[in-house]
Amino acid sequence: MRAMHRSGEIILTAAMTVLSAMMLTPFLIMVMTSFKSMGEILSPQVRFLPNQWMFSNFSDAMTRGNWTIYFTNTIFVTVVTVMASLILNSIAGYAFARLQFKGRDILFIISLVGMMIPPQATMVPVFLTLKHIPLAGGNNIWGMGGLGWIDSYMGLIAPYVAGSFGVFLFRQYYLNFPRELDEAAKLDGMGRIRAFVAVYIPLSKPIFATLMVLKATQTWNEYTWPLIITNSDQMRTVQLALTLFRDETQVQWNLLMAATTIISIPLMILFLFTQRYFVEGVVTTGIKG
Amino acid sequence: MLTTESLPSRQPVSKRRSTFGDDPIGYALITPFYLFLAVFVLFPILVNGYLSFTDYNFKSMSFIGFSNYNRLFHDSFFLISIRNTFVYAFFTLIFTLALGLIFAQLLNRKLRGLNGFRTSLFMPHVTSMVAVSMVWLWMYEPSHGTLNQLLDDLGLAKIDWLFDVKYALMSVIAMSVWKYLGYNMVIFLAGLQGIPRDLYEAASVDGAGALRQFRSITIPMLKPVTFFLVITGLINNFNAFEQIQILTNGGPMNSTTTIVHQIYNRAFNEFQLGYAASMAIVLLVIIAFITLINFRYGNQSYDAS
Repeated sequence: MRAMHRSGEIILTAAMTVLSAMMLTPFLIMVMTSFKSMGEILSPQVRFLPNQWMFSNFSDAMTRGNWTIYFTNTIFVTVVTVMASLILNSIAGYAFARLQFKGRDILFIISLVGMMIPPQATMVPVFLTLKHIPLAGGNNIWGMGGLGWIDSYMGLIAPYVAGSFGVFLFRQYYLNFPRELDEAAKLDGMGRIRAFVAVYIPLSKPIFATLMVLKATQTWNEYTWPLIITNSDQMRTVQLALTLFRDETQVQWNLLMAATTIISIPLMILFLFTQRYFVEGVVTTGIKG
Repeated sequence: MLTTESLPSRQPVSKRRSTFGDDPIGYALITPFYLFLAVFVLFPILVNGYLSFTDYNFKSMSFIGFSNYNRLFHDSFFLISIRNTFVYAFFTLIFTLALGLIFAQLLNRKLRGLNGFRTSLFMPHVTSMVAVSMVWLWMYEPSHGTLNQLLDDLGLAKIDWLFDVKYALMSVIAMSVWKYLGYNMVIFLAGLQGIPRDLYEAASVDGAGALRQFRSITIPMLKPVTFFLVITGLINNFNAFEQIQILTNGGPMNSTTTIVHQIYNRAFNEFQLGYAASMAIVLLVIIAFITLINFRYGNQSYDAS
């Protein structure tokens, strides 16, 4: 019986190893292709490993376009979006969970609309809203005459910050805090804001980490919005810049795969180190949420 | 997702404080968030509704009543995009659910290398849609791509994966299943781990076999989790755009164009913003319908957990 159990486990482990390898195959193909020469890619004789490891593909890929700018843009947009979301969402989540004010619950329910409306469905009006932001990008006070926040950092950042998912996450988290926490803070003579900074924030590291990794991934990976909102090379993000390779007449698959590898690796590393928070966030919204 | 527990209770949490003593601070704390929400989510929905009754094209705008909606139902591109979107959403959902559950079931035990398996299955979920689409674009490439090289080595005829009307949508679905599978697996796994062990023990004492246990315990106990995955999966799939834009750009012969792909093309390539807005309303109605199902039936099934 025990032996059977043991052998079953070995078969299962072997099967899972094969299945996991299959799931990772596209990534392996990506990396292997990124090291091959175009000559090898186009030859009928195909091997999995490169004949000759072309490390130069990576530096070549980065010379097609201004990748320094694309990376700077993406990092800047990601950092600002994450910071702004953490601040705005944590204080709003705290207020919705622990403070008493008129209309609180109805305001919270309305804000959930932001979680249900997919951004793809409102890309036209959001674009127009950004175009008509008053006194920005050459607009007059009525939001006319200029480009507003089109093709600007603000245009890239503002719509991401608007999501209500983080508020939902923080509210859920703070609802589980014991009431006594507030009473104790009050006894110590703290106001609501002092209590949040001195008591709540130190206890919120896991939820900050969770929202940080989820939001950073989402922003770094975003493609649709930069596609719509930017049109100059100066504002391009890394995801958008990948399509530069595809649009050539003869696609340089090795360079395209090299660039794809380079822009995917930061997130893969982030994921490997923050897996716990990542899965936590996914599961919280899925199960406990 | 909304559950009974997550909705605000009708009773104020602390009855003693009926004066709502936090008014100014409360409003101050939610204002920055609400400002963004109002300007970039709530207000645009209203704008979208209004636009859909106009012929706005960046230059001029006049009110044209229901003309856009009339046109929608005679627009063969839009009609085909609705069909494609439903096909895409349905098959992507079915396969991600089924495979996600199978993998979760396999991983729901003490297994050497468990974390490694989970990480590799989840990796596609972390990588951007653009990046994975580029990789699959290469794998699907007709003359030198990985899949056709493989077919060639096996002595089989090559397939024009993304350029053949018969295969294009299926190929896009296959990639999406690969990408979303790990997410479903992680959620299912968490659901499985929430099922009390003793249920299975009691069942085996009663002589129920593995299959019977799966059918009578696992499936019913996973209902809330499955429901969540169906709803979020459907909403996500109905909004498919990036993979379409990169892999096929709606082709061949519009066999892969989706609703959002049509919205994007009409609005930002043809500048028919009013018309695109009316398409978005159709999409919002579909999403609203799915969300309503969630509200109507979602809460009940969550109570079971």
